[in-house]
Amino acid sequence: MRKRSDQQRSDPRRKKCPFCEKNALYIDYKDYPLLKPYTDYFGNIRQRYYTGTCLKHQKMLRTAIERARFLGMLAYRK
Amino acid sequence: MLQRGEPWKNFPSECVDADERTPYPRLRDSPVLFCSMGFLPKNRMPVSESSITERLYECAILYAFPLSQKEEQDIQRGVERVFEDGKAKQVAKDIWGRRGLAYPIRGHAEGSFVIYHYEMDPSSVAEIDEALRLSPGVLRHLLIKPPKHYEVVRYSEQFDTWIKERKEHEEHKVSDEEENLKRKVAEKAKRQVARAKKEQVKTAEETSAPLEKAKLAEELEKLISDDELNL
Repeated sequence: MRKRSDQQRSDPRRKKCPFCEKNALYIDYKDYPLLKPYTDYFGNIRQRYYTGTCLKHQKMLRTAIERARFLGMLAYRK
Repeated sequence: MLQRGEPWKNFPSECVDADERTPYPRLRDSPVLFCSMGFLPKNRMPVSESSITERLYECAILYAFPLSQKEEQDIQRGVERVFEDGKAKQVAKDIWGRRGLAYPIRGHAEGSFVIYHYEMDPSSVAEIDEALRLSPGVLRHLLIKPPKHYEVVRYSEQFDTWIKERKEHEEHKVSDEEENLKRKVAEKAKRQVARAKKEQVKTAEETSAPLEKAKLAEELEKLISDDELNL
């Protein structure tokens, strides 16, 4: 039986999750410099497709950004 | 008693379409209805709410920026008093100071943040949240429970260092651009000089070439005019 890793296509261009590389357990809403690049010009959250974030960390990021928005640190929309 | 997985097996066959007089309880009334279908929770929550007495909470307070020191202190004291009334123990206090807001909140374009960390009883959270909502001068407040093994980080210092780094980066950018421009200008000047030299050489060749042509023509004419030659 073949291994699972053999079956999966390994794409060298595949993006890696920047939070998984640091083993992030929690994304803090107070960390403005970290959150800022994950929002675009209009204030929307950048999609996973573009940033390469994994689903687990994207969910954490979303809560963090929404909290930061509530406190006026990030914009809801421009 | 119903068993997990196959509850229908335990029903007697004559009771399937029974009327109300039948003694066995209907499936709808059974207290084990949801458990019988295989969803019986294996481990119920072993810890009850009352057994937890202290837990770390994080509170962010936003108030307007252009305030006198006395007003700021009043707001902070008011907030701290709210927590003291809830019998909370202060762990950390981080004053961020002036920050621009991404959108105007109650007409204020700038505000200042204070981050508190408190250890308190989970049951008093609702009261404190309500009290903070009603407290005067507070534009926004956020009371959350940080995750397990959370370490208190002072983000005010991090923010300052980040701003410094960004400024330095921008200065570097400007200086790099200037250097690039200078280098380009120097290269262009060099190229122009080289081109000018080439042109000089060309013109010199052009001026020298007609002379040689004229000499050749003269010699040819001599040869042609020479009658002694017999070909």
